[in-house]
Amino acid sequence: MQPYIISLLNHSKETLIDLWQKELESVRTDNYLDSVSDSVYESTNQNFMQFIMRLVSTDQDQAKEQLSSFAEKYIQSGWPLSYYTQGLQAFRRVVLAILSEQESDVQALLLTFSELEAWIDGIINQLVYDYTGNWEDIIEMQKLSLMELSAPLIPVFESITVMPLIGTIDTARAKLIMENLLDGVIEHRSEVVLIDITGVPVVDTMVAHHIIQASEAVRLVGATCILVGIRPEIAQTIVNLGIDLTKFPTKSTLRKGIEKALELTNKKMVDL
Amino acid sequence: MRVPILKLHQYLLISVQVELDDQTALQFQEDLLSKIHVEGSLGVVIDLTSVDMIDSFIAKVLGDVVDMSNLMGAKVVLTGIQPAVAITLIDMGIKLDNVPTALDLEQGLGKLQQELEE
Repeated sequence: MQPYIISLLNHSKETLIDLWQKELESVRTDNYLDSVSDSVYESTNQNFMQFIMRLVSTDQDQAKEQLSSFAEKYIQSGWPLSYYTQGLQAFRRVVLAILSEQESDVQALLLTFSELEAWIDGIINQLVYDYTGNWEDIIEMQKLSLMELSAPLIPVFESITVMPLIGTIDTARAKLIMENLLDGVIEHRSEVVLIDITGVPVVDTMVAHHIIQASEAVRLVGATCILVGIRPEIAQTIVNLGIDLTKFPTKSTLRKGIEKALELTNKKMVDL
Repeated sequence: MRVPILKLHQYLLISVQVELDDQTALQFQEDLLSKIHVEGSLGVVIDLTSVDMIDSFIAKVLGDVVDMSNLMGAKVVLTGIQPAVAITLIDMGIKLDNVPTALDLEQGLGKLQQELEE
C-alpha cells in the first residue's frame, strides 16, 4: 500500500477505531453472537481492529502469513466468517467516510479509495479461503469416519455373519456395502450373511434395488443372504411399491434370522 | 487352449486357470458334456477362484453348461467366484439364477453331496 495512505490511516486512527467500533456493534446481532458475553465481544473487536491496523503497515507477503495465523485462531474457536467479512465491509465504509471528509479532490479520493478497496478485498479473499479450506478439511474427515462406520461386518458364529445397516443408503454407500459384504464373506468363510435393516429409515425402490443386488452378488460368491429387521411399515412400502423380495429369505427380527441361519448351516441352539 | 477336466469318483472337477475367451469357453462346453456322457458323472464342480473377469458371453456359456449338464443328469455347482467378478456380473444384470454356487471347492462338493442325497 502507498505510504501516504498508511500515514493517513495512522493519523486518523482514533476516529477510525471509534467509528468502526460502532459499526461492529451493529454487526453483532446479525451473526448470532448475542450469546457471547460483552467483554469477550469487546476484546475480540479490539483484537480484530488492532490486527487490521497493524496489517496496514506490513508488506504483502508477511501480511498473508500473519492473516492466516490470525484466522486460524478464530476458526478454531468458531467465530463466524460473516463477522469478519461484515467487519471489513464496515471498515471500508468508515474509511471512506473519513477520507471524504479530509480529501476534497474527487479524483484523488477515488484513487486512494480504489487502492484501499483492493487491499481490503485481498484480506477478505484470504479470510474466506482460510475458512472454507478449514471447512473442507472437516467435511473430508467426517466423510472418512462415516465411511468407516457405514458398513460394518460382524462374524457372530462360525460361517454366520451379520451386517447391521443404520441410516439412509445412497448409491455410493450401497457400493461400499456390497464390497464389504463380499470381501467379508470370503474372509470369514461365511455360509450365511444376515443384512439387518432395522436402522434404515426408508426403504424405497432404489434402496431395495441395492439390497437385492447385494444379496444376488452374495449368492454368486457362494453364500446365502437373509434380510432381517423388516418393520411393518417397511413391509407395507415394499409390497405397495411392488418390489419382489421373494427370491431370498426375509425375517422380521435379527433373532429369527439367526435361528434360520443356524438351521441353514445345520446348527441348533439348545438350553443347558 | 483347453480347460482340464478331472474325474473324482462320481464327480468331475474343473478348475479354470486359463483366460476364458469365447473359443475356449465353447470348447470347454463340448468337452465337459462329452466327459459327463462318457463317465456318467452325477456332479460337477466348476471352480472359478483364479478367474478375475467374466464377460456376458462367458456368463451365458456358463449358464448354458449348467442347464445342459442338468439335462444330462449331472448337478453343477460354481465355486470361488471373486467379489469383483460378482459385482461386474450383477452390474451387467447377469444373475445366473439357475446356478447353485458355493464358497470354495470343499463347500461345493459338500453341496453336491447334499443334493444327491435328497
